[in-house]
Amino acid sequence: MGKRMVETVIFVIAALAALAGAVTVVLARNPIYSAVGLLGTLFSVAILYVVQLAHLVAAVQVIVYAGAVMTLFLFVIMLIGVDKEEKRVEPLPRQRLWVGILAGAVILFAAGVALFGEFVWVPAAATAIDQEATNGTIQAVAEPLFTDWVLAFEATALLLTIGAAGAVVLAQFKRKRA
Amino acid sequence: MITPPEISWVAIAPDLALAIGAALVLLVDVQWKPAPRVLGWLVGAILAVGAGLTILQWEQGADALASGDTESLVAFSGLITMDGFAIFSRFVLIAATGLGLAAGWRFVVSLGRRGAEATALVLLATTGFSLMVAANNLVMLFLGLEVGSIALYVLAGLARERRESEEAAIKYFLLGSFASAVFIYGVALIYAGTGSFEILGIRQHLNDFVISSPAVIYIGIGLVVAGLGFKVSAAPFHTWAPDVYQGAPAGLVGYMAAVAKVAGFAAIARILLTAFSDLADTWLPVVAGISVLSMVLGSVLALVQGDVRRLLAYSGVAHAGFIMTGVVGGATDGVLFYLAIYAIQLVGAFAVVAVVSGPDGAGSSLEEYRGLGRRSPLLAGAFTILLLGMGGLPITSGFVAKFGVFTDAWAQGYQWLVIVAVIASVVAFAFYIRVIVVMYMDDAGDEQPLRVGPERWVLALAVGATILWGIFPSSLLDLAADALPI
Repeated sequence: MGKRMVETVIFVIAALAALAGAVTVVLARNPIYSAVGLLGTLFSVAILYVVQLAHLVAAVQVIVYAGAVMTLFLFVIMLIGVDKEEKRVEPLPRQRLWVGILAGAVILFAAGVALFGEFVWVPAAATAIDQEATNGTIQAVAEPLFTDWVLAFEATALLLTIGAAGAVVLAQFKRKRA
Repeated sequence: MITPPEISWVAIAPDLALAIGAALVLLVDVQWKPAPRVLGWLVGAILAVGAGLTILQWEQGADALASGDTESLVAFSGLITMDGFAIFSRFVLIAATGLGLAAGWRFVVSLGRRGAEATALVLLATTGFSLMVAANNLVMLFLGLEVGSIALYVLAGLARERRESEEAAIKYFLLGSFASAVFIYGVALIYAGTGSFEILGIRQHLNDFVISSPAVIYIGIGLVVAGLGFKVSAAPFHTWAPDVYQGAPAGLVGYMAAVAKVAGFAAIARILLTAFSDLADTWLPVVAGISVLSMVLGSVLALVQGDVRRLLAYSGVAHAGFIMTGVVGGATDGVLFYLAIYAIQLVGAFAVVAVVSGPDGAGSSLEEYRGLGRRSPLLAGAFTILLLGMGGLPITSGFVAKFGVFTDAWAQGYQWLVIVAVIASVVAFAFYIRVIVVMYMDDAGDEQPLRVGPERWVLALAVGATILWGIFPSSLLDLAADALPI
């Protein structure tokens, strides 16, 4: 059994787990189940990153998403109340059917393109990455981040400022009596 | 040992001024709690510095182009450029920000202590879009897009006291995030197909290699166009626009719509006309299709609107279609001229809306405009000229702009598109005339003249620009013709 075979098997298992988690998020009635489903998806995607030799990204995925973001989600769910089950009244009966048909058509189309379209990925992108980067070391990520990509890195600081200022400005308001 | 990156202060000077300005506004507000008037002067100074630095960049860029040194126009390892295209768009953005803030200033003041945050968010949104129009790298472009868009989502919800504003913010946020995801997926596929994020790198790759099976690139282009098409409210990605225009605070809608359109179209033009110019045969029919759909849908739906804001939203969809004909025409100067003209008119038109329906009002029913010609003759006159300008009446700048993009598309061999566009313009004229008729032909229910605040300066400038560039367009046309992407 070659290396490729192992990779494929791991990919299939992790991808199926990720999909199962995603389906749970949408279908579960209890928000806690949804959150746990999301956790499963996030972990499975982290496994896919490891298969791609992106160890740092995988670690960040687990720490930031599965750790911090999930905690926030659960916190909010607990604040709102776990016992409130969603009311099963269908507000959009017809639209949902059409969206379902449309989504099915898109998925079929995408599958068709993936199967019969001749995809050529450019190998130049892969070879341009040096050996250190493929080992997933922090240095290999950090160096381009603070040299070639420094402006993009700084631009994300603007995002944080917007987040803070936006939260302040949206949180303080008085609702006028309707 | 890491070599420190080369920092080109010139290339980011205006963005830096705006970002530092935003931080300054927040800090000054916390420390001294200045009166709104002081805040206004501070913001005005920041925008003036930004505009001044942009003009300096223009000089520098013109020198570099004259000496044939295009390499020096790219900075930060190819992340951004300071070519004429970027600088022209950036100047339009800053001008629209100044006008938009003046039009919305009464709303900002009405926010009280939250006004400073709102102002800072406006400045940050402009910073983001300014980085976006200058981006030479799809990742940088995406970051600029997100910085701008997320700030706009918050601005749409600033009048949260009203349900409509909350609805507008949530709708804009959810659909906008989805569009951003579509865009970034397209970028990933383009990277997979060409091995580069850089606009110039992609063009180089397409030049150097014969792409035997380009399905990945095609899908990537399609998704990128769809994502950006959302931001400029081109049909069929326009459904959010009427609700957001109607619900967001009246004073700021003009600004939000104008900067999103300018930045979105600048990005579309740069990506399609520079990076994928070699694949024009594949994307031209798609863009022409979006253009036709936007023009027809926008014009027809605008006819039946009973609310001026929704009417302007659908007319914005139609205008997105008109600008798309310029992209089909393949000439950036037509697109830039149209964007500059339209952004000014849009901010001016929404300044009128802000006066009529109050700075934070919801909706702006056509009924409120009944008899405006008798009630506030100057206001109605300004609105009339702006609407005629948007409709493209000769001797207004709107005509020159439409004429420019239509001739470009005609020369490109898309005669049928131009014919559809001309018919759509005539239909579009009908609903602009309808508003004018309501303003002048009907009796006013309320004879009390409306109170006009700082909006009057915005209107004076917008009307002046509409007429001036309608009669003497060559000054702006020459600038737009010089504003070439690298």
